[in-house]
Amino acid sequence: MNPSVYLKDFLSLLVKRTIGAIGVSLGTITIIFLISHVLSPNPARLWAGPRARASTILAVQARYHLNDPIFLQFYYFLRDLITGNFGIDPLSGQPILAEIRFYLPNTLELVFVSFAILVVVGIGLGYMSGMRFSTPVDSMIRTIYLASWSTPMYLAAILGILVFATYIPIFPSGGMYSLSLSPVRSVTGFFLVDSLIELNIPAFLSGLQHLILPAVVLAAVNFGLISRAVRSSILNVRWSTYVKTARAKGLNEDEVKRKHILRNALIDATSLSAVLFGWVLTGTVVVEELFAWPGLGQFAFQAIYSNDYPVLIPIVVVFTLGVIIANFVADVLYSILDPRIAMGAQTGAIS
Amino acid sequence: MLKLAQSLKFRQLLFSNRLSALGLVIVIISVTLAVLFSLLGRGITPYDPYALNLQQSNLPPSTSHFFGTDFQGRDIFSRVIAALPIDLGLPIAIVLFSSMLGIFLGMAAGYLGGLVDEVVMRVTDLFLAFPTIIMVLAVAATLGSGLVNATLAFIFVWWPPYVRLVRGGVLEVAAEDFIAVSKALNSSVRNIMFRGILPNIIPSVLTYATLDVGTALLEVSILGFLGVGIPPGTPELGTMVGSISYGLYTYPWQALIPAFVTMILAVGFSFLGEGAREASDVKVRPYILFRAFRKTPLPGRVPITQPAISTPSSGD
Repeated sequence: MNPSVYLKDFLSLLVKRTIGAIGVSLGTITIIFLISHVLSPNPARLWAGPRARASTILAVQARYHLNDPIFLQFYYFLRDLITGNFGIDPLSGQPILAEIRFYLPNTLELVFVSFAILVVVGIGLGYMSGMRFSTPVDSMIRTIYLASWSTPMYLAAILGILVFATYIPIFPSGGMYSLSLSPVRSVTGFFLVDSLIELNIPAFLSGLQHLILPAVVLAAVNFGLISRAVRSSILNVRWSTYVKTARAKGLNEDEVKRKHILRNALIDATSLSAVLFGWVLTGTVVVEELFAWPGLGQFAFQAIYSNDYPVLIPIVVVFTLGVIIANFVADVLYSILDPRIAMGAQTGAIS
Repeated sequence: MLKLAQSLKFRQLLFSNRLSALGLVIVIISVTLAVLFSLLGRGITPYDPYALNLQQSNLPPSTSHFFGTDFQGRDIFSRVIAALPIDLGLPIAIVLFSSMLGIFLGMAAGYLGGLVDEVVMRVTDLFLAFPTIIMVLAVAATLGSGLVNATLAFIFVWWPPYVRLVRGGVLEVAAEDFIAVSKALNSSVRNIMFRGILPNIIPSVLTYATLDVGTALLEVSILGFLGVGIPPGTPELGTMVGSISYGLYTYPWQALIPAFVTMILAVGFSFLGEGAREASDVKVRPYILFRAFRKTPLPGRVPITQPAISTPSSGD
C-alpha cells in the first residue's frame, strides 16, 4: 500500500466526516428547537415554570422572543447557541454558559476515567470469554456481562455507596474532594489536572479517592456491550482461514493472538465505543446525583427537578454535541485501525 | 452438520441455553402477575398498595410484610406487584410502537429506495445522535407529567435502531431469488412487501425487541427514579427507589428491594432475548450446537470435540 495514497484517502475521509458531523449537529439542534418551541402547546408557560404569574409569563414571552414568527425564533435560537449566549439561569442569576463551563470539566473527568475502565475491563473480559469459548469461564463471564447490563444504574450506585462507603468505608460516599483541604486554584477546570499542576499531592489523592467509586459504578453497568462484541468477533475469526494461515506461516501463538485475533476484535470494539461513551455520558445524570458529584448530570437533574426549562435546553444541546463528537472520534479511529475504510470511502471498494 | 442445524427447532436451540430458559420463566411469571393485578386489582396483593398506615411505617421485611413497609406504611410487596403493569406495560408499549414505526419507515426506505431512502435514513441518523435518557427527560419535561406522555417521550427517541434493522433486512431479502421470481410473476408491490419481505424480517425484529424491552424497562425506571414524567405516588419500581433517598442508610431494603426486582425483570428479558438472538443467528448457530451437544453427543455420531463446522466468516 502506498502511504501517500492512503494519507490522501484518509484526509478526504476526515473532511467528509467533519462535514457530516456539522450537518448532524445542525439537524439535532433543529429538532431540539422544535421540541422546546413547537411541541408544547404553550411554550411560554413551560419556559416560565408551572406556577408562574401571568406577568412573569408575559415577561418570559418577550425575553425569549416567544411571540415572534417561528423562523425568526429559530434564527435567534441558532444565533444565541453559536455566540454562546445561553441566557441567565433564573434560579441562580448566573449566566448559563459560565455554569456549564464550571460543571462540564467535572463531568468529563468522571466520564473519561470511567470510560477508560470500561474499555480495558470490557475488552479484557470479552477476549477471555471468546478465547475460552464454551468453558465455565466463558459462561461465567457471559452471565456477568448480561447481568451487569440488566442492572439499573441507581442500583449499582446505591450498592456501591452502601457497601464501599458505609459498611466497608474505604471510599467517601459523595463529593469531589475532601472539604478540609485548601482549595485548588482552577486552571483547566479539571480537578485532578489542576491539583497536579500545583503539585498538590494530597488534593490529587483525595480527588482520586472520590472519583474511583462513581467511575467504577458507571463502567460496571455499561461494559457488557463491548464484551459481547469482542467475544463474538473473536468467535468469528478464531477458526477462520486467515488465522490458520498466520499459524501456518510460523507466527508464534502470541503474535497470532495479538495481531490477528485481538486486533480484529478491537476494530469492532471501536465502532461500538461511541455508543458506549454516550451511555456513560448520560449515566452521569443518575450517578452524579447519588454521589453528589458537581457535574453537568447533576445540573441537568436539578434543572428538571426545579422546572428550570431555560437551563435544561442548553444542557441537552451540550450532551447531544458530546455524543456527536464521540461518534466523530470513533469514526476517525475506526478508519485508522482499519485502513480499508478510508480506501473504500475513496474508491467505493467497500460497500 | 448444516442439516442438523436446520432440523433442530428454534425452541430446542433456545432452551439448550439454561440462561434463556431462566429468562423465559422470569418473563412468564412477571407478565402473569401483571395481567392478574390489572384484572383483579387488590385481590391478589396481601395489602392495599395505596393505603397509608403511618403506625406501620418503615417496618423491616417479616412474615407479615415480605418486603417490609415504606415510610408511609405501605406494604412494599403489594406495591411491587402493583408496579408490574406499569413497569412491564410501558416498555412493551414503547417497543411495540417503536418497532411498528421502524417496520413502516424501514420497509419504505429499503424497498422504495431513492429519495425516500435518503430522507428517511438522514432523519434516522439525526435521531440516533441523541443521548437517550437526556432526550427522554427533555421531551417528558416538555409534554408534562403522565404515563402516556412518558411513553410518547420514549417512542420519540426509541424508534431509530428499528429503522436501521428493518432496512438492512429488507435490502438483504429483496436481493433473494424468490423476490425476483415474484416480480417476474407480476405480483403487486403490496404482495411482495407484505407476503414476501415482511415475514422474513419479523423474526429479527422480534429478537431485537425482546432484548430491547429489558433496556426500555431500565430506562423507564430511571425516569421514575429521577421523578420525571411518571406522576409521584404511582407504584413504579424506579419511583419507589427514588423516593427513599434520605432513608437509604437506615432503611436500605426500601430502595434495594424494588431495585433488585427491576434488575430481575430486565435480566429476564435480556437473557431471553440474547438466547433468541443466538438461536436465530445463522452465524452463531453452529456454536450453540457445539455447546448443546458436547455434553450429550447424538447416538451414532462422533462426539464433536471442536467446532468443526465450516467457520462462518470464511464462507462469506
